[in-house]
Amino acid sequence: MSAPSLGPPCCPAEGPAVSADGMERELARERTLLRRKVSVAAVLTVLVMVSSLPHMLGLHGLPLLPFWFTSPWTQLILTTPVLFWCGRDFFTGAVSAFRQHFADMNTLVAAGTGIAYLTSLFTTLFPQVLIAEGLPADVYYETVAVILTLVLLGRLLEARARGQTSEAIRRLLQLQPPSARVLRDGQPVEVPVSMVVVGDLVQVRPGEKIPVDGEVSEGSSWVEESMLTGEPTPVAKAAGDAVIGASMNRSGSFTFRVSRVGPDTVLAQIVELVRQAQSSRTQVQRLADQVVGWFVPVVIALAIAAFVVWFLISGNPVLAMLFLVSVLVIACPCALGLATPTSIMVASGKGAENGLIFRSAEALETAGKLRTIVLDKTGTLTRGQPEVTDFERLAGGVLPAYTLLALTTALESRSEHPLAEAITTYARSQLKDGALPALEGFEAVAGRGVQGVVAGQQVRVGTPRWFEELGIDTVALQPLVERLEAAACSVAAVVVDGRIEACFGVADPLKSSSAAAVAALRRLGLQVVMLSGDAKRTAEVVAAQVGIERVIAEVRPADKSSVIRKLQERGEGPVAMVGDGINDAPALAQADVGIAMGTGTDVAIAASDITLISGNLAGVPAAIELSRAAMANIRQNLFFAFAYNVAGIPIAAGLLFPLTGWLLNPMIAGAAMAFSSVSVVSNALRLRNFRPARLPLPTT
Amino acid sequence: MQILAAAAPLWRTIDQPVALKGLVAIVGLLLIAWQLWWFLGRQGAGVAARQSEAGLQEITILVDGGYAPSRIKVKAGQPMRLAFHRVDPSSCLAQVIFPDLHKSLDLPLDATTSLELPPTKAGVYPFHCGMNMVRGVLEVE
Repeated sequence: MSAPSLGPPCCPAEGPAVSADGMERELARERTLLRRKVSVAAVLTVLVMVSSLPHMLGLHGLPLLPFWFTSPWTQLILTTPVLFWCGRDFFTGAVSAFRQHFADMNTLVAAGTGIAYLTSLFTTLFPQVLIAEGLPADVYYETVAVILTLVLLGRLLEARARGQTSEAIRRLLQLQPPSARVLRDGQPVEVPVSMVVVGDLVQVRPGEKIPVDGEVSEGSSWVEESMLTGEPTPVAKAAGDAVIGASMNRSGSFTFRVSRVGPDTVLAQIVELVRQAQSSRTQVQRLADQVVGWFVPVVIALAIAAFVVWFLISGNPVLAMLFLVSVLVIACPCALGLATPTSIMVASGKGAENGLIFRSAEALETAGKLRTIVLDKTGTLTRGQPEVTDFERLAGGVLPAYTLLALTTALESRSEHPLAEAITTYARSQLKDGALPALEGFEAVAGRGVQGVVAGQQVRVGTPRWFEELGIDTVALQPLVERLEAAACSVAAVVVDGRIEACFGVADPLKSSSAAAVAALRRLGLQVVMLSGDAKRTAEVVAAQVGIERVIAEVRPADKSSVIRKLQERGEGPVAMVGDGINDAPALAQADVGIAMGTGTDVAIAASDITLISGNLAGVPAAIELSRAAMANIRQNLFFAFAYNVAGIPIAAGLLFPLTGWLLNPMIAGAAMAFSSVSVVSNALRLRNFRPARLPLPTT
Repeated sequence: MQILAAAAPLWRTIDQPVALKGLVAIVGLLLIAWQLWWFLGRQGAGVAARQSEAGLQEITILVDGGYAPSRIKVKAGQPMRLAFHRVDPSSCLAQVIFPDLHKSLDLPLDATTSLELPPTKAGVYPFHCGMNMVRGVLEVE
């Protein structure tokens, strides 16, 4: 298709890794600068503190310190660079936010330290004014320096921790190998991944990563997809099987035809979904955001009020100023703003690691509150690949088996229903090669069956219920239906020209993980409901095999969403629906949480809130556990953040002073502020240790 | 460094003239009222995006300590392109997030990064920086 040239990648937007790299470099540069500022601030602050030591201890000098070192002028010289270089961002940030009518943490820090600095500067220049009032000519440079250093240190720790929260995305991006071995004119050529186009043939050798998505055209191998699906067992791949970019080839060599590149690959879609989830917000967050909006102006009002009240009570402007500074510094709403997003970031990244993709923060929030979980039978509990177990001609039938199979195959080969596929596969294996009779006027009746005219005869294949509705005599069918349904088989009857001729028993084997997953869901306290289009008896047999007590059977695809709605209306919600994401889409959308079972390559997830990249049902209890852990974490964080402010502000304002003599030194306020942000982020990072309870996986 | 302190000379009371006390109280109250009005009351009318030929609504937002403009007005049902030009080095502003639209955008320093949004239903969509400290509003009407 294109020449084997090795030019530069055509478009940097194609590879998701490119922008992430640039961003990463910028963040790293900022962290370096921040670290330098913290170091400089720390050294100067220690010097300022030593310089102010004799005064604090009430001495007129210390043996080893020269007199000039303890002078306020020395402290002024040491503090000024801390304020104007290390703490510059706080002031520029506060000024530009002010111009935008915003007040944020910069406003509080800048106002607090600025006021303390100016007061000290005044005292340094005109000490006699205070002395005349009978007040000590104290300076508070050490307070300014300590607050700025602590807040900067808090920022540095926070920047580091935030870098770790987005680690999941970075790890996903790094999964893609940089180059691919593409066959050009039959010769393998090493080409950057961004140059690979759809339709290329790519060679993969043992131990190599598969660069993009495609379909195996030659060779076979075992491929490990755990990095994308969370499934630990390698998957066998042979010609015709789909392979996912970024998965790891184990034993064999093969060639595959590229089907998706760039932003269309499964990996790129997963990264995009995780990013989306990480940038969405929960209901709790919406509330917290509103609080933060008016929080800072209210704190400024409280700080001014504290100054006025203390000035009126004591007449002492220095004391009043200290209260003002304490309130401003302690109340920084940083922790409040960080509480939810950090937890969401860590949790959705953790989910991606385990093959659980949350579409939004809300999905993560709701999944933990679920009370009812509806599992679709076909493709969710079962493998979704039904097989014919029985083919029986009925007593009143007149046509030979061979003819019946030919008629059925002609009709069913047009249908896309999984049962039809099973019947066609079975019939073809029974029929000798031969042309099928001609079909006219094909029609599929949803949830009932299919009909058409084959070789001049009207043929219908469908559920016994359909034929009852059509008024066809089904008496001969009843004993067979009972026997097959008791064996968990679906029954498809064949009617030719209004006469029941034969019936098929089709069974869909259970997935090996289903029973354990259902048990895990019940242990989590959820009511588990099975939803199926099959006959009641068949459905009940399957349900009993996996340990589900409540079954809603004989539901046509179009009615699935109304079943969910009824459950919600009856107050059994929040309800989750687990389905395969394509024909269950309306039900997935109706449910409070729609969970789509991916098949690894098929990211048909538009209607779902959570996607399980693997087809393993064990992901559902894992997702619910993760959600509960994340929400508990968010509640802890919000509690930390609120409790800290609720307790801190009154103490800082001196409310407890008349009662207990408690007074918060502004320096302690600065430390508390930094500590609250760091504690919230560290608590969120604890979520990284989340491990879903591993279910015993029987060998398939 | 005193964490809990009492009765140090600093805590002595001073008799201030009543006029001064009254003045401090009045100035304090005025200051409180003014800053509340400035930060909470005066939101500004917002800036409307301009229409380009292709039916796209375009606006450039300067990211410098805040978003200028911070209140953006666009029309419902039309695609839009929001171009963020970031000049502020603070890492907080390195990301802009539209939580209700499930969009986030990395903003490299001293560069313009565009976010294209499909036609959107009428409503108020807040956006904020990575740390949720600096905020703006997209008003779709």
